[in-house]
Amino acid sequence: MGFDFNSLLAFIIFGVTIGVVYGIVALGISLIYSGLDIVHFAHGEMYMFGAFFGLVLAHNVGVPYPIALIGAMILTALLGMAVERVFYRRLTRAGGGYTVAGMGMIICGFGMSVALVNAAYFFFGAEAEPFRANLDYIPRLTFPGDINVPESYVLTAIISVLLMAGLHYFLRHTKTGLAVRAVAHNKDIAYLMGVNVPLMISLIFGLACGLAAAAGVLIGPMQSVQVEMGYLMLMKAFAAAVVGGFGSLPGAIVGGIMVGIFENLGAAYISASHKDIYAFLLLILVLMFKPSGLFGVEAKVKA
Amino acid sequence: MRVLNKVFAGVMAAGVGLAATAAFAGDIRVGITMRMVSENGQAYGQMVMDEIKAINDAGGINGNMIEATLMNDECKSDKGVANANKLIFQEKIHLLIGSTCSSVSLPIVDVTAKAGVPQMIPHSTNAKITQKGSEWVFRIPVSGRYYGGVNAKYVGENIGTKIAYICAADAASVGDCANMEKQMRARFGVEPAYRADVQEKEVDFRSHMQKIKSMNVDGILVAALAETMARALIQSYEAGIGEDVRRIGSSSASNAPVPKIAGDAAKGVFFTAAYAAADDRPIAKLFNEMTRQRYGIHAPDHDFSQAYDLVRIMEMALNSADLNLSDSSLAADRTAIRDAIASVEGYEGLASGPISFCAAPTPQCRDGNRTAVLIGYTKGGENFETEVLARVTMEPDFGLE
Amino acid sequence: MLEVKDVHAGYGNLKILRGINMDVPTGGIVTLLGGNGTGKSTLLKAVSGLIPLMQGDVFFNGVNISKMKPHQRMRLGLVQVTQAKEAYPAMTVEENLVLGAYTRKDREGTRADLEKVYEFFPVLRERRKQLSGTLSGGEVQMLVIGRGLMAAPKMLMLDEPSAALAPKVVLEIFANINRIAKSGVTILVVEQNVRMALILAQYGYIIRDGVIMMQGEADNLISDPAVKDSFLGGSVADTSKSLRN
Repeated sequence: MGFDFNSLLAFIIFGVTIGVVYGIVALGISLIYSGLDIVHFAHGEMYMFGAFFGLVLAHNVGVPYPIALIGAMILTALLGMAVERVFYRRLTRAGGGYTVAGMGMIICGFGMSVALVNAAYFFFGAEAEPFRANLDYIPRLTFPGDINVPESYVLTAIISVLLMAGLHYFLRHTKTGLAVRAVAHNKDIAYLMGVNVPLMISLIFGLACGLAAAAGVLIGPMQSVQVEMGYLMLMKAFAAAVVGGFGSLPGAIVGGIMVGIFENLGAAYISASHKDIYAFLLLILVLMFKPSGLFGVEAKVKA
Repeated sequence: MRVLNKVFAGVMAAGVGLAATAAFAGDIRVGITMRMVSENGQAYGQMVMDEIKAINDAGGINGNMIEATLMNDECKSDKGVANANKLIFQEKIHLLIGSTCSSVSLPIVDVTAKAGVPQMIPHSTNAKITQKGSEWVFRIPVSGRYYGGVNAKYVGENIGTKIAYICAADAASVGDCANMEKQMRARFGVEPAYRADVQEKEVDFRSHMQKIKSMNVDGILVAALAETMARALIQSYEAGIGEDVRRIGSSSASNAPVPKIAGDAAKGVFFTAAYAAADDRPIAKLFNEMTRQRYGIHAPDHDFSQAYDLVRIMEMALNSADLNLSDSSLAADRTAIRDAIASVEGYEGLASGPISFCAAPTPQCRDGNRTAVLIGYTKGGENFETEVLARVTMEPDFGLE
Repeated sequence: MLEVKDVHAGYGNLKILRGINMDVPTGGIVTLLGGNGTGKSTLLKAVSGLIPLMQGDVFFNGVNISKMKPHQRMRLGLVQVTQAKEAYPAMTVEENLVLGAYTRKDREGTRADLEKVYEFFPVLRERRKQLSGTLSGGEVQMLVIGRGLMAAPKMLMLDEPSAALAPKVVLEIFANINRIAKSGVTILVVEQNVRMALILAQYGYIIRDGVIMMQGEADNLISDPAVKDSFLGGSVADTSKSLRN
């Protein structure tokens, strides 16, 4: 197949639209990592639960799509906070504080992932569910070269950017955001500053899981919703987070977009039958030349 | 996570194995491994069990009861092989039914061939299943090699020869794509206008659709498992490829999730199958009614019809086999059942044409069902509707090298 | 103001403090002295609530705070100034200071206190938009003290303010601590620099192996031969004047 510029442009545009979604999931993973030193392996399941919550709200309850999006974010945030409070916190406390409990935490994350998947099978069933959203009020973008970007992707891009901007504002320009950053850097000192550290930890978890839920609800109308959807998203988001520099929030976004573009180009110009490999190929390349990731920073949470 | 799942599954299987009890002499032991992850899958697994129970309730096979063990392989080959091994070596079954997915049935063929256990395939279409030369395998569904021929003939004569291919990496779809490509080449001398080999569970087809859109093709073959196919169909419309470009489905297009998930994008999709719910024969109407009442199925696809036909053929064969059913006669009984299935001829059931087997371990003998029906969706969604476009019976040698 | 009664504490099964009694009277400067690993940081953590007590009680202004979380103790006015290396390097100087006032609701008072801190430490005003990671050791020490002041403390606990600083800078810092005490804030200084601390404080406790080994008026401790033998060397007369004015 010969090279033509329009196709290249299309691959890049589509890569960006899916990449921002990887980005917002990666953002949550980075937030949890920088805030709690936990690599959260069950984050893909938060994304999956978010998608199902959105689906149930939109189809069974019948609320409009934007409300379903917000509702799913809130419900998933609560779920994430409950999981952290009930399960993870015991472990972290056993580890001597609110941080690392080493291998135990990793196993617990995996276990939580399996548990949540099975819970989802129980509640939602194994069938993939179509997520029909009425998005007629969103414009369909047409780029030069007759590249059509469907409504759902336009919406995804817009909402992702809004969420990122919102998070940035929250962390940079509010007092609570300042407290979150303080907790992220050092829980003991934050405590001594009078910050309610356990509450902030819940908040961090809730935020991160809410972001994952948003990604789930945004992806839903494009890819249908099913219980096993979290695994692959987790892998891509991890790749994005590491490519961008684990713990760096702008890095998570840039990493996500890079993974999105890279895998689309790989699928187009190398082979589409191994598309999921490209994310990890990029990961390896980045780690070879810049082990700390593109935005790797000494101090965490630079927002 | 997957890896962990497998570890857990292994531990579970080992536990079950230890707990397995000695089988009773005098029963005909049938082991079943199928994909039962979806509602559909659970329903047709249940149907097989119900039909076997009905045989027992009616007096069994010459006074002997059928003891059936149903296992779920989730369409995963490692689980399917583990199930088959457990059923054969611990449950000491006389006959294995399985599996749904080609990628699971294929490795099980080697297990049954080695152990000398007759295997009836309820659903898998991959042509290679019967090309391995096993004496023990019998396929109830229509082989992919026939489907390819039917599809190619219909497409070339009614739609055009400029076809884009989207081929997912699961065994059935790989086979469906290869067959279609081969038949289009043989019949019309054309190569695919575009071909994308995508992952089994690919979620994003937009780049491919964008390219296909710029090529002005006559049709797009989407060969993939149900959910993947549904996504590809939706995204083909999202990319702006019009209705005039026909969408051709692979064998999985018959699965209910395709119209359910794809919705409006399913309309106009056509595919070949072994059974059409829109079939107007009385037996078909009765069957549709039965599955709706008992299992709440809107319109049974060939998963159901084939499973049903399989139980009927099994019943015929077991009735005609000379069985001792003692511990020492296990191998002889298995052979007798194999020979009895091989002598089934001209069975007429739900399948669109008669099903016949013969003794040679060749595809000609063991692909017993050679009649495919072309079905088109006229409406998508939960309450989808279909129509029969054509019915075609192929020669036994068709599609072989 | 602060009473520590028979406090036992440690980490997990490791008991470090074995029955500590200590009093910090309102308005005074008290110093807690000891070498590395004697338990002085553990005592500070037990008082601020970062580690739980195994036995004993801590009273602040007559209130038993033994079961309170750190942020609750802090809201009562018991503020711990962390070690200098524990500023937030990725935050600006001003963000660090604002964080110190995290619990306060009065915007006016906070702004006034920010001004006050800048007057105390003019260098911080110059650097307020700079990331605190870029400050010198002495400047960071001023920052963490300033951050403690932003909480409008009744009592300030300082964790080794002289650590890793040049003698001249230490002098400046200690002079500032003295000024803070004069403004009405009770001070507890944990120090290894015994000589400087005893010049600054009125009363001293010496901790070793998790128990209070010795206590007394600072002047008496300085001249105590036992203290002199174990900690002090050389003369202290020259520096005392400039601190005590």
